[in-house]
Amino acid sequence: MIELSQLTKVYGEDVVAVDQLSLAVGQGEVYGLLGPNGAGKTTTLRMILGLLQPTSGEATILGCRVSSDPLRMKQLIGLVSASAGLYQWLTPRELLQYFAIGFGLSLEQAFQRTRELAEVMELERFLDRRCATLSTGQAQRVNLARALVHDPPVVLLDEPTRGLDVVGAKIVFDYVQLLRRSNKAIIVCTHQLEEAERFCDRFGLLYRGKLQYEGTLAELRASTGQPSLVDIFLKLLRDDASGNGSSNVDSAKEAVLAQ
Amino acid sequence: MNYSHTNINTATDSQTSVQATDSRQTAVPFSFAQQWEFTLKELRETLRDRRTIVTLMAMPLLLYPMLGLGLRFLAFQESSDQKVEYRLAIGSETEGAWLSEALQLGNSLLAASSEAKEQQPAPDVQLLVPNDPSEFDLEALVKNSAADVGVRVQLNEASVGNQFPATARVQLLQSRDSVRSRDAADYVQQRLAAANIDWIRQTSELNGKPFRLPVEQIRVLLEPAETGSAVLGLLPLILLLMTVTGGVYPAIDLTAGERERNTLETLMALPVPRFRLLIAKFVAVVAVTMLTGLMNLLAMSITLYALQLDKTLLGGDGFTLGLGCKLFLALSAFALFYSAVLLLLTSSARSFKEAQAYLIPLLLLSIAPGLVILMPGWNLASGTAALPLVNMLLLSRELLEGTVALLPAIVAIVSTVLYGVAALAMAAQVFGNDAAAIGSRGGWKDLLQRPKEMSIQPSITAALVGLAILFPAYFVTSGILSRGDAQPTGRLGLSAAMTIALFVGLPWLLMRWQRIDVLAGVGLKKTSWHYYVAAGMLGIATWPWIFALVVFAQSIGIRGIDLSQIENVEGLLAGWREVPLWLIVVCLGVVPGVCEECFFRGYLFNGLKQHLNATWTIVVSAVAFGLFHVVLAGGAAPERLLPSTLMGLLLGWMAYRSGSIVPSIVLHAIHNSTLLIVVQSRDLLAEWNIGQVEQVHLPWLWLAVSAGVLGVGLMITRLAIKPAPFSTKEPETI
Repeated sequence: MIELSQLTKVYGEDVVAVDQLSLAVGQGEVYGLLGPNGAGKTTTLRMILGLLQPTSGEATILGCRVSSDPLRMKQLIGLVSASAGLYQWLTPRELLQYFAIGFGLSLEQAFQRTRELAEVMELERFLDRRCATLSTGQAQRVNLARALVHDPPVVLLDEPTRGLDVVGAKIVFDYVQLLRRSNKAIIVCTHQLEEAERFCDRFGLLYRGKLQYEGTLAELRASTGQPSLVDIFLKLLRDDASGNGSSNVDSAKEAVLAQ
Repeated sequence: MNYSHTNINTATDSQTSVQATDSRQTAVPFSFAQQWEFTLKELRETLRDRRTIVTLMAMPLLLYPMLGLGLRFLAFQESSDQKVEYRLAIGSETEGAWLSEALQLGNSLLAASSEAKEQQPAPDVQLLVPNDPSEFDLEALVKNSAADVGVRVQLNEASVGNQFPATARVQLLQSRDSVRSRDAADYVQQRLAAANIDWIRQTSELNGKPFRLPVEQIRVLLEPAETGSAVLGLLPLILLLMTVTGGVYPAIDLTAGERERNTLETLMALPVPRFRLLIAKFVAVVAVTMLTGLMNLLAMSITLYALQLDKTLLGGDGFTLGLGCKLFLALSAFALFYSAVLLLLTSSARSFKEAQAYLIPLLLLSIAPGLVILMPGWNLASGTAALPLVNMLLLSRELLEGTVALLPAIVAIVSTVLYGVAALAMAAQVFGNDAAAIGSRGGWKDLLQRPKEMSIQPSITAALVGLAILFPAYFVTSGILSRGDAQPTGRLGLSAAMTIALFVGLPWLLMRWQRIDVLAGVGLKKTSWHYYVAAGMLGIATWPWIFALVVFAQSIGIRGIDLSQIENVEGLLAGWREVPLWLIVVCLGVVPGVCEECFFRGYLFNGLKQHLNATWTIVVSAVAFGLFHVVLAGGAAPERLLPSTLMGLLLGWMAYRSGSIVPSIVLHAIHNSTLLIVVQSRDLLAEWNIGQVEQVHLPWLWLAVSAGVLGVGLMITRLAIKPAPFSTKEPETI
C-alpha cells in the first residue's frame, strides 16, 4: 500500500537527510522505521505526507504517486506526531470536528465520527474541556483520535510514545493493534528500539539517511547475528565507527541505551 | 480501553474516494460550510484569548477619554483667539509715555468704531525702554528680533506740556522679512492714525468747523473656509493606528503562533490548499481588526460628544451617523489591507518573538504617513489617492472635515482593497512553506525568487499583484493624460500607447520574470470558428444595452459625470470631428479591446483559475474590469460600474467557453468600435431625435433588435463545440 522508491532528500548542496530509501508496507502491516536522532525518519514521513518535496525518488500510496496529487494523497494518510500540539483554546470535540471537516466529512458525519472516536479512545470525560487543561496522556489520546477522524488507509506515527509513561505507552500499543486489525498500512518512526520490537512486524534501520538493514526481527537476527535491535544498532555504529577510524563504541552504546 | 473493530470502520468508502471535479489540486471541493468551519476555528482561537478581548474592549475605553482631555485643550487653543504680544522698542521714557498714551487713545477710538466686532482681541504690548538711552540701538534690536518694532518719537518741544497730545514725528522701524514685525507696525500705525484723525477732529471742532473724513475705510476680517485643524489631522492617525493594534496579536498568534505551538504540521497535513486555510485566518484577523476599529470609532464619537467637541472640531451637525458609517467604510478597507500585510509578515515567522521583530518596523513606518498629513497642502487627490496608508489617512481626515471628493475616495478605497488582496495572495505563498522542514525558512525569498522552470500559466498571486500594480498606475496615467494640451490626434496616440504599456506591457514583464510562456499565459490560442461568429454578433449587439444601463443608472441618481465634465466631453468630441474616424476607432476601440482582454481575460483570468472555479474566475475578473471603467480621466463614473461589470461577465464567459481570449478580443473591439462610430454619428442621430450621448434612451426597436442578435450570439456560444477544459494543461497555441 505504501511504496518508497529511491526516495532522497538533500538540503542545500551537501546535507543528505534521506539517501535513496526504498521500502514497501502492505495492508495490515506495522513497519518500524527505526534509527537515532537525525537518521532521516521524520524527513521520510514528511515526504510521504507531501509536506516536503523529495529531491528525487518517489513515494506512492495505493499505486498513486504523492507528487502527482499531493492534496488527494493527504486524504489517505493519518498522522500522529509526538511533537504536534493541540489548539489550546479549543475543546477536543471542536478539534476533532474541525479536522473531520477539513478532511472532507460533512458536518453531520463529523459529529458522528467525533462521537465514535470519543467512545473508542475514551475521550468522553474531557471531550468538552479546553485542550490547555488536558494532561499529557489525555492530549496524546486526542492526538491519536485526530489521525483517525477520516479513517485513512495509511497511518504514520512519529515518535508516538515520546514523553509518555507506561500507561501512555500502552495506550499507543493498543492503538497500533487496533490499526493493524483495521487493515491499515502503518509506519511507526521511533528510536525506542525495545518498544518497537513489541508492536512492529518488520523493521527498517535508518542511519545517516540510508536504510542499513530491513526485515522481520528473525531475519535481522539471522543476517546480523545479533539477538536484539539494540545489539543490531550497536553493531551498525561499531561498523560505522571503525570505517571512520574512531572507536567510540562505549559512548555510542550509552547513547543508544539512553534513548 | 476497549477497541471495537466495527466502531472505527463505520466510515463509508466515499470518505476516502476522491471525486475530483476538475484538475485543480484539491481532494476536498470548496464549500462555504467548510470554509466557515475553518474560519470559526480561527475565531474561537482568537476571541477566547482574553488578551484579544482586552485589546479590543479596554484599550479604546481607557484611551479616548484621556485623549479627549488633551484634544479639548488643543481644540480650544486653536479655536479661541490667541493673545499676541508685541514688543515695541522706544528710545526714552518720555517717548514711551507719549506712545503709550497715544496707543491707548487709538485703542479706545477703534474699539468704539464699527470695526470693533471684527477686530481680534487687543494684543499685549510691551514697551522696551532703555536704562541708558545712549547705548540703545533701535535698529539693532529690530534686526536681531529682540523687538518687533522700533518706534522713534521726535516730540515737538514747543507742544510738550501745552496741550494734549503733544505733536510728534513718529518713525516706525520694522523687519522686512518678519510677519510679526509687520503686524506690530500695522498695529501701531492704525492706532496712531486713529488718534491723528481724532486730534484733527477735535482741533477742527474747537475752531468751530465740523470735521468729517472724506474717505472712511473699514477692514473686515474673514475666517478662511477650510480651518485645516491640526486636531482633525490627528484623529484619523489615532483611529487607524488603534485599529491596527487589534489585528497585531491575532495575526501573530494564528501564524507564527501555530509554528511555535507545533500545530502547523497537522494543519498542513489537511487536504486543503494552503490559501484556504490562510483565508480563514485572514477573516479572523480582519474581524478582530474591524471590531477594534468599531470600538475605537464608538469610543471616539462618545468622547467627542461628551466633551462637547464634536461641533467645535467638525462643525455643522458634528459627528453624525452618516459620517460614522463613512468612516467605518474607510476603516474596513484599511482593516482589510493592514490585516493582509500583517499576515504577509507573520506568515514566515517561526515564533512570536520573530514575528514581533517584523512588525515593530511596520508599525513605526505606519506612523510616518500620519505625521505627513498634518502638514498643510496634503489632500486626497490624484497623486495621493493611490498611496497606501496615506490615502486612508487623508480620506478619514477629509471625511471629518467634510471636504472629500468622490473620485479620489473611490480610488483610495479600491486601491487599498486591491493592495490587501495582493498582500494576501503573497502571504498564501509564504504561509506553510516547508512547514515541517528543519532549518528551512520558506520565507519571503520565495516570493522574489525567479522560477527556474518555464510554466504556461501565471499564479494567482502574480495575477493579483499585477492587478494591484495596474490599478493605481492606470489611475495616475489617466489623470496625467487628461492634463495635457496635446492635439486630438496626439492625445489619441498617447491614449493608445498608455493602454498598450499598461495592459500588455505590464503583464508581459511579469510573465517574462516568472518564465511563463506569454502566448499561453494570456490564452492566445485557436478555437472553433463558431466563437468568432458569436463574438462578432455580440459585439455589435451589446452596446445599446450597455448604453441603456448607463442611462438608467444616471436616471436613478448614480451619476459621477457632472455638467461641467459633460461640457468637457462635448469639447473633446468636437475636437474629434477633424480626426479620421479610423484613427479614433483604432486608438479608442481596437487597441483597448485587444489590450484590456490580454490583461483581464488573459493574464488575470488565467491566474485566478489556478485556485478558483469557472464562476468565481469570471465574476472576479468582471468586477475588476468594472472597477477600472469607473475611473475616468478627471472624474469618477460610478454609473459605468454595473454596465461594465456585466460586459466583463459576458467577456469572461466567452473566454471560458472558447478557452481562448481571441473571441473576447473580437467582441470587445467590435463593441468599442461600434459605440465610437455611434458617437461620431451623433449629428445623424440628432436628426432622429436621439439627444446627447448617455442622456436619452434609445428607441425600443433598436433595443429589441439588438436583444434578438444578442440572443442568437449567446445561443451559438452555448451550443458551440464542448468548451475547452478549465484546466492548466497546455492547449494548442496560435
